[in-house]
Amino acid sequence: MKSSFPQAVGIGLVALLWVLPLAASLMAFTVAAFDLPAWSGLLHHPQLPKALLLSLWTGTAGLALAFAAAMLITMGIYGGARWQKLQVFTAAGLSIPHLAFAIGFGFLIMPSGFLGRLLAGGSEPPQWVTAQDPLGFALIACLALKETPFLIAMAWSVLAQGDVAPALRGQWRSARSLGHGAGSVWLRVLLPQILPRLQWPILLVWVYGTTVVDMALAIGPTQPPTLAVIVWTDLNHAAVDINGRGSAGAMLLTLMLAAIAALIFFGLPPAAKKMRDFMTAGPSRLRVPKTWAVFLTVAMIVIYGLVLVTLAAMSIAGQWPYPQFLPDTFRFAAWQNLYSNSGPAVLSLALALACSALALGLTVLWFEVVAARLDRALTIASVASLALPALAVASGQYRLFLDLNLTGTLSGLFLAHFTPVFAYVFIVLKGPYRAFDPRFRAVAHGLNAGALRFWLGVKAPLMKAALATAAAVGFSVSMVQFVPAQLIAAGRFSTLPMEAVTLASGGARALTAAYALTLAVLPALAFLLVQMLGRPRWSQAWS
Amino acid sequence: MELILEQVSISLGNAVLVQPFSLAIGAGETETLMGPSGSGKSSLLAFIAGDLPPPLRGQGRVRLGGRDLGPLLPETRRIGRLFQDDMLFPHLTVGENLLFGMARRARAERLSRMREALAAAGLEGFEARAPHTLSGGQRNRVALFRALLAGPEAILLDEPFASLDMDLRNSMRSFVFTHLKERRIPSLLVTHDLADAPAGGRVLTIDSGGLVAA
Repeated sequence: MKSSFPQAVGIGLVALLWVLPLAASLMAFTVAAFDLPAWSGLLHHPQLPKALLLSLWTGTAGLALAFAAAMLITMGIYGGARWQKLQVFTAAGLSIPHLAFAIGFGFLIMPSGFLGRLLAGGSEPPQWVTAQDPLGFALIACLALKETPFLIAMAWSVLAQGDVAPALRGQWRSARSLGHGAGSVWLRVLLPQILPRLQWPILLVWVYGTTVVDMALAIGPTQPPTLAVIVWTDLNHAAVDINGRGSAGAMLLTLMLAAIAALIFFGLPPAAKKMRDFMTAGPSRLRVPKTWAVFLTVAMIVIYGLVLVTLAAMSIAGQWPYPQFLPDTFRFAAWQNLYSNSGPAVLSLALALACSALALGLTVLWFEVVAARLDRALTIASVASLALPALAVASGQYRLFLDLNLTGTLSGLFLAHFTPVFAYVFIVLKGPYRAFDPRFRAVAHGLNAGALRFWLGVKAPLMKAALATAAAVGFSVSMVQFVPAQLIAAGRFSTLPMEAVTLASGGARALTAAYALTLAVLPALAFLLVQMLGRPRWSQAWS
Repeated sequence: MELILEQVSISLGNAVLVQPFSLAIGAGETETLMGPSGSGKSSLLAFIAGDLPPPLRGQGRVRLGGRDLGPLLPETRRIGRLFQDDMLFPHLTVGENLLFGMARRARAERLSRMREALAAAGLEGFEARAPHTLSGGQRNRVALFRALLAGPEAILLDEPFASLDMDLRNSMRSFVFTHLKERRIPSLLVTHDLADAPAGGRVLTIDSGGLVAA
C-alpha cells in the first residue's frame, strides 16, 4: 500500500521537474504558433509545398523500407538458431546515434568515399549525386538503415515477452500442423497479433523521420530542404517575424502528421476487416524468405561496419589520392584538435550523466512511492512527448525559457536535455520495475528487513540489468540532443552534436569524422558497460 | 505464542471476499485453510502479514503473542512467509540467503547458526552454492530455514508444497511441520490439497458464506 505523503512527494517532484516544464513549453508553442502574420509568412514561403512533400516522402519512404526490412529479417530468423544473436545486432545498431551514422554514411557514399573507390574505380571519382540529392534518397536510405534495428528490437520484445512467447510458439506449431507453411503462419497468425503492439514504435519512427533536423542537415536535400530544416532555420533566425514563421511551420508539420495519423488510424479497421478473408482463406505452403533475411542482415552489418570504418579512416586520413583504398599518410591533427577543444565533449558527457542520473532516481522514486494505477497517465504523457516532433517541443521550450531567462543558461540546457531523457527512462524501466515479483518484498518483510534494506540488498541487485539499461538509454538520448540544445544554448554553450552538425556543413572532413565518431563511441561505451555490469551472475537460474 | 484473528474480513469495493471470522492458532499448531481460486485465501495471508495490495481492503484485528499487529509495518510483525516458489534471492548464495534475516549479532555466532541450519536441512557444505544449483527440495528446505532463522513468531504458508512431486511433497511436509511444532510457532497453511494438512490440525474452508470447519 502506498502511503499518501511519499506518494504526494513523488508526484510533486515529477510534476515540477518534468510535467510542468513540458506542459508549459507546449502551451508556449501553441500560443506562438497561432499568430496570423506568421502563418501568412509561412504560406507565402516559396519552398513550402515542395519542402512539405519532401518531408512526408523521406519520412514515409524511410519508415516503409525500415518496416519491410525489419519484418523480413524477423520472419526469416524467428525461432531459428540465430534468433538470440539478432539481439546483439539490434543493440549495436541502436547504440549508434542517427547523426553520427548519417555523417559516416555520407562519407561512405560520396563519390570519393569507400564505395566509389570499391565499385567505380577509374582515375577520377564518379559523377554520382549521393548525399544531399534533391529527392532525398540518401536521407531515406539512412533513415531506413537506422530504424530497422529499432523496429526489429520492438518486434523482438513482443515475440520474446515472457507470457506471450510460449503462446505464440504453441500457435505456430498448431498452425503448421493444420497445413500452413511458415510464411503463411507469419502472415495469418503472428503478424496480426504483433502489429497492434507495434503501432506506437511505427508512429515514433514516422514522426522522427518526417521531422528530423540533424540528419537532414548532414545528408538531406538542400534545394529545397525538408520542411523541418526550413523551420529550423527560421527558429534560429534573429528576426522576430521569421522566428514566428518557424513556430507556425512546426505547428503545420505537427498538424499535418496528426491528420495523416488520424486518417490511417480510422482507415485501418475497415481495411483490417477485409484482411479477415485473407486470414481464413485456408492453408498455404508459403515459406519464409530465410535467405533474404540472412542476406539483409549481413548487408546491414557490413554497412554499419563500413560506416564506422569510414569515420575512423576519415578522421586520421592525410593524403588519400583517388582511387587508392587506403590513405598515403595519416594525421592525428583532428583528434588533437578535438582533445584541445574538449569543452563540447565534456559538456555533453556531464549533461548526459546528470540527466540520466536524475531521470533514473526520479523514475525509481515514482515506482516506489506512487500507485501503479497512476503509471498510465505518465506513460501516455511520456509517449506523447516523444511522438510530438522535437521541433514543436523545442520551439515551445525556447519561448518559455526566454520568458524565464533560462535561455543561454546551464540549467535551461539541462532541462532541455532532461525532458526527452526522463520520458525514455520511464518507458524503458516501467515494464521490468512493475513486473518485479512482490513476493520477494513479502519474504524480506518476513525476514525483518525494512524498505531501505530490502531495496539495497534485494531489489536493486536483482533489478541491476534493467536499471543499468535505463541509465544507458537515458545517457544516449541526452548525448544526441541537437534541436533543443542548439536553441536553448543560444550560442553560449556547445555540445558534441552541435559541433558535429556545424562541421558537417563545412569542409573539415577529418574533424567532422572525429566528432561523429566520438558521438558514436560514447553511447556505445555506455551500452557496453551495461552489458558488463548488468549481467546477473545468477543468470543460469532463469535461462 | 498465539496468533489470533478477530472478526477479520477482506473486501474488494463493495464485494466482501472473505466474510468476517475469528480464529485462534496456538503455539506449534498449524491450521489449514482451503477454498476455490479467487476466494481470498492468499489475500487473507497478505492482510495478516500487513501487505494487502489495494484496492483490496482488510478489516478486523490481528494479534500475535498479545501484540496488536494493526499499526505495525510488515517488517516488524515477525511473521515469516513461505510461497509455492522458494523465493530464494538469486543474487545471494545459499549461506547469504540464510544470513539475510538473521538478527545482528557477532559475525562468528551468525555464521555458526547458519551452518547449524544448513546441517539441520541436510545441506552441509552448501553455503557458497548459488540457489539455482540446488534441487527443488533443497531450495525449499533453505527457504524454510531462512524463515526460521529470522526468529518469526508465526509463519504463513501459501501453497508451499504445490510445485513439488509426490515423494518430495511428503518428506517436505513432515520436515516443515516437525520444525514448526518443535519451535512452537503457530502457522496458517493455505492449500488446494487436503493431503497437505498436518495430522491433528483443523481444516477450514472459505466459500461465499464465510469460513467453516471442513
